[in-house]
Amino acid sequence: MKDISTSVLKIDNEEKSKGSALYVSDIKIPGMYYAKTVRSTIPKGKIKKITFPKLPENYTIVDYKDIPGPNIVKMIFDDQPIFAEENVTYYGEPILLVVGPEKIIIADLVKNINIEYVEETPEYGYVNSIINYNFVKGDAKSAFENADKVVQFDYVTGYQEQLYIEPQGMVVEVEGKKVILTGSIQCPYYVKNAVLQALNAEDSEVTVIQAVVGGAFGGKEEFPSLITTQLAVAAKKIGKPIKMIYEREEDMEVTTKRHPSKIHMEAAISKDNEILAFKSNVGIDAGANTGLSGVVLSRALIACSGAYTIDNLAVNGDVFITNTVPNGAYRGFGAPQMLFAVEMFINHIAKEINVDPLELRLKYLSKQGDSTSTQGTFRDPIIMKEMIEKGMEVSDYKRKKIEYAKKDVYKGIGMSFFLHGCGFTGSGESTHINALVKLRKDKDDKVHILIAAVDMGQGIRTTMMKIVSQVLNIPLEQTIYDLPNTDFVPDSGPTVASRTIMIVGGLVARAAQQLKEKWEVGVELIVSERYKHPEYIKWDEDNFVGDAYPAYSWGVNIVEVEVCPVTYQVSLQHVWSVYDVGKAIDERIVLGQADGGIMQGIGYGYLEVMNSKDGKIQQKNVTDYIIPTSVDSPPLDTYLMDNPYALGPYGAKGAGELTLVGGAPAVALAIEEAIGEKVFNIPVTPEYIMELIKNGNN
Amino acid sequence: MAIIKFKLNNKEVVMDENPNLRLLDVLREKFEFTGVKEGCGEGECGACAVLINNDIVNSCIIPLGNVNGKEIMTIEGFSVSKKYEIIKDAFADEGAVQCGFCTPGMIIASESLLNKNPHPTEEEIKTGLSGNLCRCTGYNSIVKAVKGAAKKGDGLW
Amino acid sequence: MVKNVIPASYSEALKLLNEDSYKLIAGGTDLMVQRRSWSETPPEFPENVLYIFNLEELKYIKEEDGYILIGSTTPVEDLLTNDLTPHLLKEAIGIMASPALRHMATIAGNIGNASPAGDTLPILYILDAIIVLESVEGVRELPINEIITGPRRHVIKENEIIKEIKLPISVFTNSAFEKIGGRKADAISKVSFTGAVNIKDDKVLDFRIAFGAVSATILRRKELEQKYIGLTKEELIGKVDDIVVDYDPFVRPIDDQRSNKEYRKTVALNLLRNFIETL
Repeated sequence: MKDISTSVLKIDNEEKSKGSALYVSDIKIPGMYYAKTVRSTIPKGKIKKITFPKLPENYTIVDYKDIPGPNIVKMIFDDQPIFAEENVTYYGEPILLVVGPEKIIIADLVKNINIEYVEETPEYGYVNSIINYNFVKGDAKSAFENADKVVQFDYVTGYQEQLYIEPQGMVVEVEGKKVILTGSIQCPYYVKNAVLQALNAEDSEVTVIQAVVGGAFGGKEEFPSLITTQLAVAAKKIGKPIKMIYEREEDMEVTTKRHPSKIHMEAAISKDNEILAFKSNVGIDAGANTGLSGVVLSRALIACSGAYTIDNLAVNGDVFITNTVPNGAYRGFGAPQMLFAVEMFINHIAKEINVDPLELRLKYLSKQGDSTSTQGTFRDPIIMKEMIEKGMEVSDYKRKKIEYAKKDVYKGIGMSFFLHGCGFTGSGESTHINALVKLRKDKDDKVHILIAAVDMGQGIRTTMMKIVSQVLNIPLEQTIYDLPNTDFVPDSGPTVASRTIMIVGGLVARAAQQLKEKWEVGVELIVSERYKHPEYIKWDEDNFVGDAYPAYSWGVNIVEVEVCPVTYQVSLQHVWSVYDVGKAIDERIVLGQADGGIMQGIGYGYLEVMNSKDGKIQQKNVTDYIIPTSVDSPPLDTYLMDNPYALGPYGAKGAGELTLVGGAPAVALAIEEAIGEKVFNIPVTPEYIMELIKNGNN
Repeated sequence: MAIIKFKLNNKEVVMDENPNLRLLDVLREKFEFTGVKEGCGEGECGACAVLINNDIVNSCIIPLGNVNGKEIMTIEGFSVSKKYEIIKDAFADEGAVQCGFCTPGMIIASESLLNKNPHPTEEEIKTGLSGNLCRCTGYNSIVKAVKGAAKKGDGLW
Repeated sequence: MVKNVIPASYSEALKLLNEDSYKLIAGGTDLMVQRRSWSETPPEFPENVLYIFNLEELKYIKEEDGYILIGSTTPVEDLLTNDLTPHLLKEAIGIMASPALRHMATIAGNIGNASPAGDTLPILYILDAIIVLESVEGVRELPINEIITGPRRHVIKENEIIKEIKLPISVFTNSAFEKIGGRKADAISKVSFTGAVNIKDDKVLDFRIAFGAVSATILRRKELEQKYIGLTKEELIGKVDDIVVDYDPFVRPIDDQRSNKEYRKTVALNLLRNFIETL
């Protein structure tokens, strides 16, 4: 039996290379109409009056009055309307759709719609907290009282735009009472449930199908529920198929992004330079409605001690509502913000107390059996020490650290340690998702994998097929994994939170085992597996106590940079990464994910700038919001170290987000060393570097 | 309206059409190609890339009028060639296809590069791909794929 | 009814331009972005349009009487690989945009667009480029700095086409072109610097400085350059502080979504200082 990690060619390489893979914008339906969204042009206020031009035949306005069900996009909270009614709370908020057969006419109609507002004063600061979480571990209060020294610093992180190369879009058709939605999505059932609610429809009246997805990274997790409910309402009203593909600028201005954050960190230090306690105060900017921000905040707060075991913690965090575009899921989901702060902080502490940073970090590095930030336990082996050794060896870290510390050497090497909790926080898997997977063996003995998981480039169509073929000992070609259609697949949960291989893949493996035991040649058979929560994982959601996650993946990133003292520009020289994801279901696929993840993480750290001014996103096209090009990317060397997790298929843990979360601190630490000044904000742009050097005391 | 004559994937085409139309829209709407895609509409991401007289261009910012008298090759036309086979196999071998949205454009860019420079250095490959954005792969595997294709296809370019 | 014409020849283009007003479109790399509309709908050209990109008469590079003559719609990528192209121009083109854009971008387009951040413009200014304009009435030649009068503003008449760029063949012992974009490729310039000197027998015979994206038009001040002609190399380097002080008041960049004025100004002057100090 081959080692499952041995790579196979991905099953969708051919159609994607040749351009025949059908993304949503490629879908053409006879008699198809188009839709364009009319949006608020003020950040806060009330709609006083809307004047419409005369509508030609077959052109329709669709607004909140057309919604059969509640005017709410079903997510966690009920504060996001499908269409604004009277109140607008952000620039770009959707108010109505103009729908019709010809785009030129729609565009003209949109231009001639006049909206009168009564403007109100918008809020952009971290002032209106809609969610507060706070928790403690140990006794931070006493620790701070007895501390010999308190070190404190403030960190700020900016927006990050997912910039999937395929913009968002959906197509809707009506068949009798049925509404069929196809599009670029991560979570078919989130979409289905949102549409069911909006239409007050029966379960059988809504079908959601995944088109081939051109990248998502979290940006297509919850946002599509807004587009799909709008289109479903429109389709029900006019009885015609409708296609709505966002323009890039529109997508960048109005879809969800990574939450900007402000993080205040304090450490209580003893006379012997022990870290007695951490206190953290975190604020994240949710934009105009709550969305998933509570969960983002949760994950951030749980990451408040990063890869370290700190005995005493006092943690406080708030989600702030502002009159800006609502923020949401992006690979890492709160962890990148917090891990940046923690990694910089522990290095800054070391400098303050005159201790070697590496020594300090190794001293507090978490070990198997340690108590987590929420008083759970790191039950499984942690191989970080070996991973760090490997990273330092291949990067020649020690020698470079000495070399680059010299005054007129504008080079730096930075190393980050990090972890990522795999799967949904706490009991989310059982209480919110309760995943179900099915396998159907047909009469030709082909095994159909029936799950709602979406392949958005991370290769799960191939890896799920590998798991099934490996368990059943059949060739890959005997397995089938079609793009999920909610009529045919059960709800195995959303494609998020680094849960797909570990949780859904685990269920698929168990289902395959069932099938193996019941296998009869030529006979059709269906098996199913339902998620069972491991008994020993206990989580008190209100107090943040217990095991926040069933498993953790670990990583080390090392980034080498050179900074130009004349222009302050950063040039990436080389990146080395070492990851523990349990076991790679396909080595080449995991390495590909690692490459993409680290470039996004590093981009977040030094290159990608997005600001909001007067409630408007300033960098709203691909020219102004810069992501790395091939010329910017350095050699990337990645090493995977096996550390199998008992409950994951073949030992696999989550990998999707881990490879992004450590990039920003690694590059920020490298730049810090190159310029000899402490870095507190990301992205570390040349403009910021210039400021640091000019105002620095080095 | 103007008469515009060009070759598209080796077939002669004559159109009487608005020369302002974006070549991308003409290819997708009139000729129903799906391999050219709109990623940004401003000539930055390369997802719309085609070859005009063997050189890579961004079809989203080319007015139809400018292709008069030219030879256009889309990924669909290129994919019947031996050179395509080598490039696409190299992409598969290196795991360079993830979501696939940038892939046809990257393959077009590879062909445009190798046509001019059959044995590019790593720096030259990166420059050759510099107009094609990818968010999934971090470019590492794509650069390796082009290197592999150049090696394997020795003599073809 | 709007006219969209693909002229069959250069002379036909001149004739048409004289009969009616047309928007000239060369490669379209700037115009097609500026006039973008919803996908699958035609870009917004409410005026007549004349397509000059494929006029073969305007695609050439040759040497004549001490000048390099470049046909105005020669794609810049072709200039990159031609031996006649001056070194500084090659440097600017080499890091401009991307291969795909370079196959369609033209110097005519850069001039017609007249952006303060236009990639080839600083080189045209520093090389004392002469722009040849032609109409049915004849040919006139103007130095580049008289053609562009402000952001998106130029003196080219409605019936004129930019025919040719004439670059006097110059000798430089040291030259540098630095474009500071947000990333290493495919970037709009935040600030650019071009420097060129000719030092012979330890005497500065020629000293030229130009900045891009720091003022309404490309910044070049010949009267400041003149002050340093005749010095020895060491004297020139010794005067670096004076030179920076000279240019300081003219470097007046703005804040925008790409960068801020402090950064642009500091880096512009850093690049100037660095050029002189490393001669």
